[in-house]
Amino acid sequence: MKTPGAFSPDNVVVGHSARMRAIFDFVKVVSKSDSSVIITGESGTGKEVIANLLHHSSSRRHQPFVAVSCALFSENLIETELFGHERGAFTGAIKDKPGRFEMAQGGTLFLDDIDDVPLSMQVKLLRAIQNRTVERVGGTRSINVNVRVITGSKKDLRKMVADGNFREDLYYRLNVLPIVLPPLRERREDIPVLTDFFFKKFARARGIDTPTVSPAVRYAFNRYRWPGNVRELENACERIVQTCSCGTVRTGCLAAGVLFGAGDPVPSPAAAELTVAAPTAVSLDDRLREVESNLISWALKVSDGNKSKAAELLSIKRSTLGDRITRCGLQEPAPGEEPAAGPAPVESELAASA
Amino acid sequence: MVSREQIESVLGRIRPMMQADGGDIELVDVLGNSAHVRLTGMCAGCPSAHMTLYMGVEMALREEIKDFAELVVV
Repeated sequence: MKTPGAFSPDNVVVGHSARMRAIFDFVKVVSKSDSSVIITGESGTGKEVIANLLHHSSSRRHQPFVAVSCALFSENLIETELFGHERGAFTGAIKDKPGRFEMAQGGTLFLDDIDDVPLSMQVKLLRAIQNRTVERVGGTRSINVNVRVITGSKKDLRKMVADGNFREDLYYRLNVLPIVLPPLRERREDIPVLTDFFFKKFARARGIDTPTVSPAVRYAFNRYRWPGNVRELENACERIVQTCSCGTVRTGCLAAGVLFGAGDPVPSPAAAELTVAAPTAVSLDDRLREVESNLISWALKVSDGNKSKAAELLSIKRSTLGDRITRCGLQEPAPGEEPAAGPAPVESELAASA
Repeated sequence: MVSREQIESVLGRIRPMMQADGGDIELVDVLGNSAHVRLTGMCAGCPSAHMTLYMGVEMALREEIKDFAELVVV
């Protein structure tokens, strides 16, 4: 039986970016092997999705896939969680309990957040993976386990090894087949296809038609940084589908965080991404003027409208700034509001400095 | 005392995108340290747009303007 949350390889969005396509090709190749895979990527980039895909593309797909986050357990608990325990091993251990290694017997074990495993536990993990045996806590016999180990990490383990926070021997044992997932902001060309996929998915779950998405929303999604990566995008889409009452997703539907994030520093359709796939003509002069006006607005804002301070921030003359403000069509503050601190503009410099 | 310009500069960050969708957030009045705004256009009647802008814009105003008190959607 399939539960709604169950993994299906059909529900994986590959996207258009060359990096992701390379990753999926690599997954196809390495799913045939039994070697350790380590998936590194920021939170929300899809480490568990890739682990799932690896499992479901492998010959182990009819065996269990067990995913466990090592960050969930305290130092003491993690050992019983992974290796299990015998009855009576400690207070409250009223019956034998198999660990995650045993539960994944014949299948795949995905150990996420491996960077959170304490050093003392790393030794035991290394032994288990190397010898393919585990010993339950409080037990004496070794249990053979046939599992493929996939690990996930938010941090670069090489750096952790260098800092002495991760055992070198375990690192080399895990790092046989490395996969590095890029953050969403580094593969923005995939945002539209992911957005459409999530809107469709959540609309179907809610039993409504897939909403149309306005160009301004697409623009905002493309500009936003997505610190939570694909997970954040997925949640943003779910939120919108749940609250949409008119069938069209417009900027008003967006969470203010996305809207402000996308509008920072100053939004302008001319600043849209330069794509190789769909090149459009750009005006260099317009772009330069845009950069200029963004910087000037910023400088005026942080200096509370004081043009002398703003000019100093921008390393230009006070008079030049006045000239450029006019040229960019930025509004001059009303005369009464301008702080009197600045020196009188030197008119003769206006023409020369432009 | 909060100035109109300060509030407009925050609203200006999201305004072009809202206008691209045929909507706007209009600064009706500044009373003391509070701003009165009105949603116009396509999103004006949408309860969820109202809600998110109410919360989000107010948060942004409070972050950027030291003395900002509250946002009133009229």
